[in-house]
Formats: sequence, structure tokens, C-alpha cells
Amino acid sequence: MADTPLLELDQVDKSFGGLRVIADLDLVVNEHEIVSVIGPNGAGKTTLFNLITGLYHPDSGEIRLDGRNLVGLQPHVITGLGIARTFQTLRLFLNMTVKENVMAAQYGHTKVGVLRSMVKTPAARREEKEIHRRAEEKLSFFGDRLMGYRWDQFAYSLSYANRRRLEIARAMATEPRLLLLDEPAAGMNPNETHEITGLIGKLREQGRYTILVIEHDMHVVEGISDRVVALDHGVKIAEGSFEAVATDERVIEAYLGLRAAETK
Amino acid sequence: MNWSLFFDLTVSGLTLGSLYALIALGYSMVYGILKLLNFAHGDVYMIGAFIGWFALHALGGPVNPDFAGAAVLVVMFLTAMIGCGILGVAIERFAYRPLRNAPRIAPLISALGVSIFLQNSALLVFGAQFRDYQTFSLIGVKTYSIGNLFFSVPQLLTIVSATCLMIALTVFVARSRLGKAMRSTAYDREAASMMGIDVDRVISVTFFIGSALAGAAGVMFGLVFGQIYHFMGFLAGLKGFTAAVIGGIGSIPGAMIGGLVVGLAESYATGYLPQGSTFQNLYVFALLILVILIRPSGLLGTAVVQKA
Amino acid sequence: MSPDDGIPGSAEAAGAPRIGVDEWVASVEGKSERYTGVRGVALREWDRLPAPARVFLCVGLAALFPLVTSDGNVFRYGLFTLVYGLLAIGLNVVVGFAGLLDLGYIAFFGFGAYTYGILASPQYNNHWQAAAAIPVVIVATGMLGFLVGLPSRRLVGDYLAIATLFFGQAFYVFVNNANRIKFPFFGHTNLTGGSNGIAGIEPFNFFGYKVQGTRGLYYLLLISIAIVLIFLFAVHDSRTGRAWRALREDPLAAEAMSIPVNRLKLLAFVFGAAVAGFTGAIYATIATAALPGDYNVGLLITIYAIMILGGFGSMMGIFVGAIIVSSVPELLRSSANARPLFYGVILIALIVKLRPWRRFVLEIGALVAFGFAVHAIAAGVYPRLVHGHSIGNDFFARGLDHWLLFPERTKNMVDVAYIILVAAIVILPQLGRIWRAVLLPPLLYLLIFVWENLLLVQINGATRLILLGALLVALMIARPQGLFGKAYVEIV
Repeated sequence: MADTPLLELDQVDKSFGGLRVIADLDLVVNEHEIVSVIGPNGAGKTTLFNLITGLYHPDSGEIRLDGRNLVGLQPHVITGLGIARTFQTLRLFLNMTVKENVMAAQYGHTKVGVLRSMVKTPAARREEKEIHRRAEEKLSFFGDRLMGYRWDQFAYSLSYANRRRLEIARAMATEPRLLLLDEPAAGMNPNETHEITGLIGKLREQGRYTILVIEHDMHVVEGISDRVVALDHGVKIAEGSFEAVATDERVIEAYLGLRAAETK
Repeated sequence: MNWSLFFDLTVSGLTLGSLYALIALGYSMVYGILKLLNFAHGDVYMIGAFIGWFALHALGGPVNPDFAGAAVLVVMFLTAMIGCGILGVAIERFAYRPLRNAPRIAPLISALGVSIFLQNSALLVFGAQFRDYQTFSLIGVKTYSIGNLFFSVPQLLTIVSATCLMIALTVFVARSRLGKAMRSTAYDREAASMMGIDVDRVISVTFFIGSALAGAAGVMFGLVFGQIYHFMGFLAGLKGFTAAVIGGIGSIPGAMIGGLVVGLAESYATGYLPQGSTFQNLYVFALLILVILIRPSGLLGTAVVQKA
Repeated sequence: MSPDDGIPGSAEAAGAPRIGVDEWVASVEGKSERYTGVRGVALREWDRLPAPARVFLCVGLAALFPLVTSDGNVFRYGLFTLVYGLLAIGLNVVVGFAGLLDLGYIAFFGFGAYTYGILASPQYNNHWQAAAAIPVVIVATGMLGFLVGLPSRRLVGDYLAIATLFFGQAFYVFVNNANRIKFPFFGHTNLTGGSNGIAGIEPFNFFGYKVQGTRGLYYLLLISIAIVLIFLFAVHDSRTGRAWRALREDPLAAEAMSIPVNRLKLLAFVFGAAVAGFTGAIYATIATAALPGDYNVGLLITIYAIMILGGFGSMMGIFVGAIIVSSVPELLRSSANARPLFYGVILIALIVKLRPWRRFVLEIGALVAFGFAVHAIAAGVYPRLVHGHSIGNDFFARGLDHWLLFPERTKNMVDVAYIILVAAIVILPQLGRIWRAVLLPPLLYLLIFVWENLLLVQINGATRLILLGALLVALMIARPQGLFGKAYVEIV
């Protein structure tokens, strides 16, 4: 592995009015790794994502991408540096088409300004073509789920599972190095869950992304993770292989309980 | 420094501030519960001033009232408050309730429509001319003084009754069952309705109270400044909302403090700043921008945490 | 929902993956294909046309207008429709694309007019060429938009609305009084002409060719609209346009997707302001003057009504909106036109609302009978109620005299009737079905009574804005997306 990890959280702390949501958290994600974050509801998992992507600022501590401190940067700048996320609650641009959703997310690494696109200079046309090409490339990643006639459908007309897929495609369109997936399998049926498990593996192998994922479904976590981090009340209570974390007493006590036995 | 000018400005600032605070309360309460900017609120205030005028003339007019001055005043306030309250409830029922699940911009446009409708209805029915309350004939020209502060009777009346109304409102919201229901609805409408609170009723009551306060402010304006006209609600509404924003929107004490701040600022600007009497509105606008830049959540508001 | 009790996928049954297609999705698919016949074909073909073709089709049609009618009509109906239309197109960038409620928009329009007035009028002894003045106006207004947007970008939705509304008011106060300002260092300068405004503004002068006269101005506006529309269509489907729409949909998600939301908000503001400023310069040459009273809230409402009627985000719908909102009030100016319009709209509304036909016939019959009964009783009991006359002397007006009450010199009674009418319209939808059916004829009678006795009399005064206000409310309740807009899906 490289000397500097891709993402590094160093003593990160965040409270909302007295309530400590993330407490002195250290976390390392290495290049080309898939790390899962698990923990009961309210453990601070989504807050962790919000801190990494700059929607919240930590009260203390440092968040580094490739050694560069991200604290204080605006979210769009952080995304531009190579971190993209999906939303657990699904926040697609509903009244835009599937393709436009993915095209809009390429704003950060395209250049043509409003005046040049107004008069459609050759450079603007070229870039527009490139945006289309990249959007199609990202959408083709999901087999034929988001292809063909679906390009011009509005995002609101997609099914739940396809919305999750489009969220991932949109995040991919920002050309990230690190993908943060917030419960990618939530609300999916067993077949779809199975498919998404395979997809996350494919994202790493073919897309060459490093992936940090929040997930509740232990089958998915077991299937994809190189490493698992368990949070409870903002504190890291266990870290290691899925086997090690799933059998860790504190984790079972805090969260897994019956579910752990079920998984075995 | 000319202290007597300062004291005069303070008194008129306090008077104006009481008016703005009453208007701001309506904005703030409605915004707290519906997250809706009720553009028509300023025009409800204007209608209140007209209802007061008609009540005054129904009772024999300012020069020769049928009853004692005090009784006439009470009737004016009551009719204006009840009339405006009903008007507010009707506006909510007709123009806002059908739009509760519409895109956020729809109720704002609807509110704009109601505002322009009320304004021009008043123009149609009441005409373009100014109407005069002739307050001096009704309650005399006596002034009272507290230290160096000289109050005319209408000014004193405005400040005292506005204070009473605000105290009553605070007690109502803090203590009564409906007040508690209002607070919980403002906190989380969905959860409140699941707890068995009749949210529609709470919203109606909120509109009634807010509009009634605006109606009272309308009558006070008539008493203090004499002349009322169909367009008076526009600027007053703007400043009322400014007061609500400065105080922290959604906060009741914030609206009161914001009202006083705007009233005093306007009054001092008129007296001390260059071209003050012409540009006092510009100075209030500058104050609004300043507060928004420095403290967007207002003086007493709490910062909203973004939900991701 | 725990992941184990998910919906059994149809995959097992069919063998082929059908994951992700549920009934609702299937029902949405093919919705646009549902329209059949001429209307369906026309709609689909229209959608298939490239944007410039659509623009040229509309502009081409509009270009024929001066050929078929008189100069006076072109001036009354054409010029103002186009000015309002161009304004609404610019506003649509701010509100429709980027989702920012800008209520100070008219101030930019006024600023453009004043700036051009200062650059090209004898009052300031400047006589700039249009080729130089127009870019200066556009850039200056854009910069003002930037300044206004600067604090506003920190404001969420409604705060922005109030701050900009206040700005519009501040602009009005400023131009109305700026002749009295004493500037430090410069001393007294008459910047705006105060309440007298700027008079004698010169027409656009393109290297000696002056654009003036009704027809010249009409075509100037038409060309400007075509250019602005083609530019905007290009922007709409560009990187910036997509980013605007994304931030309208969900600012937080847009920010997380590498879109600098604040900068784009500012850009939208500047863009809208620039279009408004440009329109203002044209308007100044039409009016040959810039007066503070021209840039008021009434105009703001008019522009909003046009944009909303056309449909948020739909640029071509704005054309129709502009024609309706600006021409109809012009038509209303004479009672000969106003009557057929009013009764026509009422009739159409009743025909659409009252189904089946039986109900419609019954209600109208009841209305006619009610009218004659009221008239007969009033004539017997209190004849002063029928002593007045309707406006006009045609067959219809004389007929009304025998059916409708026309009280003599009793303005109070008409005012009260108006208030009762408004109250009744608010109350009626709250009642049960039977009551609604029973009370409809008296309500209609009251409506006609108020219309004939008050609204028609004041047709050049408050009526226009009353109708506009009512139209906005009714439109929001009935069809929030406007006539040609696409229904929005919003998760609240």
C-alpha cells in the first residue's frame, strides 16, 4: 500500500448542541480498498459522510485526502478534489432526465462558460459532446438498466432501485477517486441486493474507485468489505475483517445481537 | 447634541416600533408554522385600518361620537381585530390550504396574488383618496411626559396597548393548550398531527391571531398618523417582515425586538442621517441587508442545521 | 423495512430480470404518447422541432401582425406584449431555471431605462450610438444584478424574495428623489430627474440609422426576442443551464455534485438583470422617457403572471402568456370588448365545470329566472334599485336593463355587494354539494351585478389588477405549473 492513505480522519470531533455525534474518530481508507461502516441508527454514520464531504465542519480534528486537509473547504471544492457521494434519502434532480442528472454532475471538471455556450463556439460543442459521451459511459456501467430509452426519462419516473443506481452513476460522473455510498442496498429486494453487491465489486475492479460504504445489510457487508468499521455513538468500537468485527463482543452488544447469530 | 430632538425621535421610534412588532408577529407566527411568507399580511393591516375607520363613522364619526371616546376606541379595535382575523382565516382557507403540498413557489405566488387583489379591491371600494381618522377631535391633544419623553395620547395608547397585546400573546402561546399545540406544530407539523393535534385548526388559529394583531396595528396607525389609504400596507408589510427577519423569524420575542429595532432605526435615520426624511426606507433596507450578512438567523433565531 | 422481507422480484417468475420496473413506472411510461389525433401529432411534432426552428416559427408568425392591422393596434397590442414577453423571458432564467424568487426584477428594468436615458437624451447632453450604449446598459445592469445578488446568495428562498422586493422599493425611492442628493466631492447632481424623470430619450441610433416609429420598434423587439431566445435555448442545454436546473431541484445535492451553487445563483441573477436592463433600454426608446412610476409593483405582478401563465421554465409558453396578460387588459378598455370577454370566460368555465349538460342547463335556467324575479320584486318594492342603466346601447345592454338591478347613485350598495361577492366566492367551495348547486345562481347573479355596476365602470382603474391578482390565485390552485409547463414532482 502507498505511504499516505487516500483518506485519513484524524481525531475528528463533532457535536450538535451538547450532543457528541462523532467523538475523536480516527479512520483510514487506503487506495483501492472497500471499507464498510456499520453501526446502529444514530451511531453517526451519515454525519461522518457529511463531515467528509464538507456539508458539516468538524469541531476539531483533520480530514485529509491524499495528505491534503479538507477541513473548511466548500462541498463542491471537496467533490472536485475527488470525493463523491450518494445520499441515503435519494436526492436526485427529479425533474431532469436520467442523462441530464449524470451530465449535470460533470460541472466540476468541465470548463466552458456561459457566454461561450450561449453562442456555441466549437470548443463548447466539443465539450458538450464529451459530456454526453461520458454520461453514456457511466450509465452503461449498470448493464441495460439505465440505457437506451431511459436516458430521456425524467428521474422521477424511475423505480426505487434504478434511482439508487442513478445516484451512483451521478456520483461517478464527478470523476472521484473515493466513492462514498450511503446505504446503497436500502429498500431493495433480495435480487436487487445481490446485484448491488456484485456491482460494488465491479466498481472497484473496473472503475478503479476506492469505496467507503455505509450499509445495514450484513450480507452485503460480508460480500464486499476488505475491512469493516463499527461505530456506536460516534465512537469506533471495532475495526478489522468482517469475521473479526461480527464476532466482536462490543459490536454484538451494541448493535448486531440477534442479527449476528442469524448471519452465522 | 440636541437632546429634545433625540427624545422626540425616540418616542416616535417606539410608536412605529410597536406597530412593526405587531405586524412582524403575524409574519413570524405564520412563517414558523407553514414556512410561508404571507405577502398579503401587509394588506390585511391596511384593511384593518379601514375597518376601524368605518367603525368610527358608524358610531357617529370622530367629531360627534355617539358614545364616550374610550368606548368608541374599544369598538374600533374589536371590530378591526375580529374582521381582520376572519379575513386572515379566509385567505388561508382559500388561497394557501389547497397548495400545502404544491411546489414551494406556488403558495408564494398565490400570496402575491392575494396581496394585489386586496390592494386593488380597497382601491375599487374605498377609492384612491386618503381617509382621515381625525384623532384630535376624538381624543384630544393632551400630551403626557415621562422624564424628558413627551407622548401624545395616540402614541401612548399605541405603545401601551401593543405591549398589552404582546404580553397576552406570549402568555397564550406559553400557557394555553392551543398555544402549546401551536408550538409543537411549528416544531414538526407531521409529528404534531400524529400526536392528535388538529393541525388545520392550529393553522387557522394562527392566521386569526396574526391577522387580528395586524388589524389592531392598522387602527393604531390611523390614530397616530391620521391618514389611511389603500397602498399603506405594502411598505408596512415590508418593514414588518424586515422586523421579523431581524428579530429571528419564527421567534415571538424576536419579532417584538425586531419591530422596536426597525422602528427606532427608521426614526433615528429620519432625524440624523443625510436626506433622512426622504431615504429612511433605504436605510431600513440597508439595516436588513446588514443583519442578513452578519447574522442570517436574526437576533434571537437559532441557526438551522442542514439535513443531508 | 428489513432487507429480508423485500418484495419478491418478478425475476424468478419470468427468468429474465424485470427488476426495477413496477406498475407505477409502467404507467408513467408512454404517458406522452397518450394524446391521440391532431392534438397528439401536433404536440409531438412541436417537441421534435429543434429550438431555433420553434423560435423562428413563433417570431415569423408575430412578424406578420403589423401587416394585417393598423399602427395603433400594433402599438397598443404588439409593443407592450413584446416588451412584457422579453421581460418575462429574462425573469424565467432567474425563477424558472434557477428557482430564485426575485421580486426586485422590475428595478433592473428601470435601471436599464434610466441608464440608457442618461446616455442618450438632451437632458444630460449625451447622444451615444446604440451600438455603444446597449452594451454599456447591459453590462451596467448586470453589475447591479451582481451587487444585489451578493448578499442575496446567502438567503434561502423566501428571504431572497423579501430582500429583493425591498430592493425594488428602494430603487423606486432612489430614482424618485435622486435629484436632491448632494454627493460628497461632486456636490449636487441631478442624477435621475426626480419625479419628473428623464424626458426626450432618443431612439436607438445604429450608425445613423434610427430605429423609430411603431413598426420599427416592433421589429426591433421581435429581433431582440429571437436572439435572446436562441441564446437561452443554447444555455438551457449547456453545462451552466443544467447546473441551474440542478440547483433549483436540490441545492444541497447540486453542491455535493461539484456545482458551486452560490456562484451559479449570482450568475442567474446577473443574467436575468442583463436581459431586464436591455429591455429597459428598448422601453425607454418606446416611451421616449423614463419615469419612476413606470417601475412599480403592478408591473412586477404583470410579468410574474405572464411567466406563470406560460409555465415555469417553458420559454415558448411565455409568448402565449404575454399575449393573454398584456392584450386582454387592453381589450378590456372598452366595454364593447370587455363584455363578450367576461361572459365568454364565465360561460366556458361553467360548461367545463358543470357536467352533465343537464346541470348546466338547469343552473343557467335558474339564473335567468332568479334575475327576472329579483328585478320584478325590486321594481315593485324599491324602484330606485332599477332606475340606473347599463353601459352601452346595444341589444345586450338594453336587455340587461330589464333583468339586472342598476341602482341609482348608491355606490355604497355596490361596494357592499362586492364585499359579499368576495366572501361568497371564498365560502362556496366549503359548502356541501346541494348547497353549492342551490346557491350558484344567486352567486352568479351577484357576480354579474358587481361586474356591470362596478368592475365595468372602473375598467380602466383597479379592475385590471384585481383580475390579475385573482388569476394568479386561481391559477396556482388549479394548475400550479402554468398552461404549458410540465408538472413538477417535488418531494416535500
